[in-house]
Amino acid sequence: MASSRRISPLGVLVLIIVTIVVYILDKPPVLLGIPAIGRLLDPVNGCWASAEPVNKNFSADLKFPVTHNASVWFDKRMVPHIHADNDHDLYFLEGYIHAYFRLWQMDMETRAAAGRVSEVIGTKTLEYDRKQRRKGMVCGAENSLKVMEADPRTKAMMDAYTEGVNLFITSLNYRAYPLEYKLIGFSPESWTNLRTALLMKYMADDLTGSTDDIALTYLRDYLPKEEFDLLYPERIQGASPVIPAGTVFDKPSLAIPVAPPDSIAFPHFNAADFGEKREDGKGSNNWAISGARTASGAAILCNDPHLGLNLPSLWYEVQLQAPGMNVYGASLPGAPGVVIGFNDSLTWGLTNNYRDVKDFYLIKPVAGDKNKYWFAGKQLEFTKRIEHIYVKGKPEVIDTIDYTIHGPVTYEAQNAKDGGLRKPLAMCWMGHKGTNELLAVYLLNRAANYNQFVDAILNFQCPAQNMAYADRSGNIALWTQGQFVNEWKDQGRFVMNGSDSATLWGQLIPMRENPHVLNPQQGFVSSANQVTTDSTYPYNYTNSGWVNLRAWRINQLLAFSDKKFTIQDMFKMQQDTHSMLAGGTVGNMFKFLDSSIQYGDSKYLDSLNKCSWNCNLDPESKAASFYQVWWAFFYRDAWEPKLKNVPYDQYPLQERTMQLMTKEVEDTVHHTGVMKDADFFKKAANKSYKEAVDSIHILEKTIGTDWYKVKNTSVTHLAKLPAFSFDHLKIGGWGNTINAAKGNHGPSWRMVVQMGKEIEAYGVYPGGQSGNPGSKYYADFLPQWVDGKYNKLDFLPNTDKQNDSTIKYVWNVQGLKG
Amino acid sequence: MKFLLSVILIALLSAVAENFFSWWSIAVVSFIVAVFFSQKPGKSFLSGFCGVAVFWLVACLMHDMVNDHILSIRMAVLFHLPSYGLFIAVTVLIGGLVGGLSAWAGSLIRRRA
Repeated sequence: MASSRRISPLGVLVLIIVTIVVYILDKPPVLLGIPAIGRLLDPVNGCWASAEPVNKNFSADLKFPVTHNASVWFDKRMVPHIHADNDHDLYFLEGYIHAYFRLWQMDMETRAAAGRVSEVIGTKTLEYDRKQRRKGMVCGAENSLKVMEADPRTKAMMDAYTEGVNLFITSLNYRAYPLEYKLIGFSPESWTNLRTALLMKYMADDLTGSTDDIALTYLRDYLPKEEFDLLYPERIQGASPVIPAGTVFDKPSLAIPVAPPDSIAFPHFNAADFGEKREDGKGSNNWAISGARTASGAAILCNDPHLGLNLPSLWYEVQLQAPGMNVYGASLPGAPGVVIGFNDSLTWGLTNNYRDVKDFYLIKPVAGDKNKYWFAGKQLEFTKRIEHIYVKGKPEVIDTIDYTIHGPVTYEAQNAKDGGLRKPLAMCWMGHKGTNELLAVYLLNRAANYNQFVDAILNFQCPAQNMAYADRSGNIALWTQGQFVNEWKDQGRFVMNGSDSATLWGQLIPMRENPHVLNPQQGFVSSANQVTTDSTYPYNYTNSGWVNLRAWRINQLLAFSDKKFTIQDMFKMQQDTHSMLAGGTVGNMFKFLDSSIQYGDSKYLDSLNKCSWNCNLDPESKAASFYQVWWAFFYRDAWEPKLKNVPYDQYPLQERTMQLMTKEVEDTVHHTGVMKDADFFKKAANKSYKEAVDSIHILEKTIGTDWYKVKNTSVTHLAKLPAFSFDHLKIGGWGNTINAAKGNHGPSWRMVVQMGKEIEAYGVYPGGQSGNPGSKYYADFLPQWVDGKYNKLDFLPNTDKQNDSTIKYVWNVQGLKG
Repeated sequence: MKFLLSVILIALLSAVAENFFSWWSIAVVSFIVAVFFSQKPGKSFLSGFCGVAVFWLVACLMHDMVNDHILSIRMAVLFHLPSYGLFIAVTVLIGGLVGGLSAWAGSLIRRRA
C-alpha cells in the first residue's frame, strides 16, 4: 500500500545528531576540555549521588573477609574507633574505612608521588610528572617496598590494608564513585602495597625535598667569603637548638671523616648557570612538659605539624584497638597505623628535622658518548631507567633517566626551573633508599614505655623528624630521628663534584647516636624546625631549612615562667600569634626612617608605635597588616640590590636580617670591613615605607586591612577547585609565629595530650572526616580550627562492648574467614 | 491524553532504566516512547522534555532536600551559578533537552516520507 511506513531521512539525520550530542555529553573529547555534562549532572548516577543525607545513618551489619568478628564505632564527629581481634582484621578495616571516606585523595596523592597525574588530567601536569620521575620517586618507593615486604610485620600490615582498600574499590559502581572521579572523568584503580610506599615517599619529598644546596652554591661563588658567612651562618647567633644546649653527647662510634680540599670537593659556576625561584619550606611545632611543671602533675605533649592546608585533609582521625594495642591519633589515608597520637601508655608528636639528606653532584659526561660519565678517573656507564608517562588524550611521553653512582640525573639543561642549575646534576637523597617507616609506626603504636618508643623510632629513617615524647610515668623526651650520613664538614652543603670518590656519601651513623634528650633539667623539650644541637655534637651535619623565630618564642614561653601549666595554657600557646620578628625589628625600622619623612597618613606609623601595638598578628589587627607589608618590602628592598637574582626565599633568614639590623652587628660589620654599604638598611627602610603605605592605601579601598584579609589563609581542595575550598579564614599568625597560619600552609593537626591517670586529649584539624564535598562532615572542624577551639578526643577502652554516649553509629562486622 | 500518557511513561520508564543503565538511557526511553506514540514532532519534543525534566527534577529535589543543599550549593559555585536553585534548573534543563531531542527524533523517524 502507498501509505506503508518508511523511515524518514530527516528522522535519521536528527537521530544521528541527537546521538552525537548525547555522546558528547557522556564522553566529551579531551580536546573540548569540558566535563561530561550529562553523565555528571544526572541526578541518579551523577554528582547528585554524592549529596549525602545530613541525617544519614551510617550504622550497618557487614560481612567482610576478615577472620573474626569486629566492631567499628563512629562517634558524633565520625571518628571511627576500630576494634579487631588481630592485626590483619584491624588493618583490613582501617584500609576499608580510609577508602570509604577518602579514596579519591589517596589515589591522587599517590598518583602525584609517582608522577602519574597527566594520565587523568592531561598535558597540563606533564612537567610536574616528569619532575617526579626525575626525582626518582618511584624508584625510591620500589626500594622501600622491598624492605617493607621483607619484614613480616609490615608485610602483613600492608597486605591487609591493601585488601581492605580493594574490597571497597571493587564494591563501587559509577554511581558510588567519589565526586571528583566524575568531575575529572576517570575511575579508581586497584590499590597496591606500592601505593602505600609511594605515599611514604610523598611525605618524604614534602618534608626533605627542598634544599638550599643549589642556591647556596650560587651565593658562595657570588659573595665574598666573610660576607657569605655573615649572612648565612650555619648556626645563627643565639640559636636555641632542639636538643638543649649543654646536653652531653656520647663519644661517636665512627671516626669523623676529613674534608677533601675545596678544589676537589666543590665545582664552581656562573650566575647564568642558575634558574630562578623555588618553593619555600615547611615548619612545625612540638613540645612536651614534664609533670613537675604542670598543674595536674602529669606530663603534657603538644604538636602542630605545619603542612599544606588542603581538603580533603591530609589527616584522618582514627582509634585502633587490637590485642596489645590501643592507639588514637592522626592517620594518613593511604597508609596503615597512626602517625601522630597517643596510646594508653605514651604520646608522641613530630616536627620536621631539616638536617640535609639530599645532595647534588655535578656530573661530567664523557665527551662524545651519551651513555658514559666520569667517576674516579674511570668512564662509568649510566644505568638507564625508562619512564612511560601516559597523558590523557595524547600519545605517551617516554623519558629516559640516567642513573649514576650518586642517583638519578635530575636537573638537566631543560629542567632548569625552580632554582635549578643548567648542568647535569645527580641527586643523592635518603628518600631513594629502601626504608621502613611503617615499621616504626607499627611498633610506636604498640610501645608501652620509653625503651620501646626508642626501639620503634629507630626504624624511622626518612623524612627525619624531631620526635617529642611524654608518658604516663611523667617522662618526657625528644629524639632528632632519621638516618644520617657520617659527613665531612660542609659535605653536601653545596653542589659537589660528582666525578671524585671523595665526595661520595660515607657510612651511615648508627641511629642510637642521633641527638636526643630524656627528662632534661629544664623540665620541657621543644622543637620548631631549628638547628638540632649546639656545636658539641660530634658528627657533622648541614642545614636544609632551619628557622628560629618560633623556637625562640616557644622556649621563651616555657622557660621563663614559673607557672604550673594547664591544658588551657597549651591551647593558648598553640594560638599564640606574637611575632618575635616584629618585636625585634619595628624599633630599628623606625630608627632607619628619615625623621623628615612625610608620606601618607601618620596613623600608619602611629599604629606601629611600640606602646600601642603588642606585636601580635591578630586576625583583625590593622597594625599587624601594616607591619607585615612594610617588613616584606623592607626585606626585599634590603637584599635585592645586593643579592640581585637570588630568589626571595634564599635571602638571609629574616631572623638573621633582624640581627644584622642591630647596632652591635652594625659595629662589628664596620670594624671587620665586611658590608661597607651597611646603610642599605636605611635606604631600604625609606623606600619600603612608601611602598607599604601605597599598598595599604590600595587594600583600604578594596578588601580592607584586617590582617586575616590581607594574608588570606585558605584551605584548598586538592584539585584546586575554589568551589570546594575555603578562603579568607579569620585566623591570625604567620609562618614565624607559633600559630603558623600562612596563605595555604599552617597547623595541619593541633594536638594536646595530658598523660595523667586518665588520658586527656584534644585535637583539631582544618577539615573533616569525610572527603566528600557533598557531606556535612567535609569541613566541619574548620570553624573550630579557625577559632582555636579543640575537640575532646574520645579514647575508648580496649573492650568488645562500648557504652560511651558519644558513639553514634556502629558497624558490626562479621568475619567470613573465621 | 496521549500527550500526558507519554510524559508519564517517559518519566517512569526513565526512572526504572536509570537504575540499571547509564544516564543516556533517558534518551533511549524517550526515543522509543515517541516512536510508539507517534505524535506531531513539536508535541513529541515537549513530551520528551517534560517527561525527563519531571523525573530529573524529582530526583534532584529528593537528593537536595535531605542534603540541606550542601552539594548543590558547592556545585553551583563550581559552575559559576548564583544559586543552588539555578544548578537544579540547569540539571533539569539538560535532562529535558536530551529527552526532548530524542523524542523529537523518534517522532520524525515514524513520519511518512
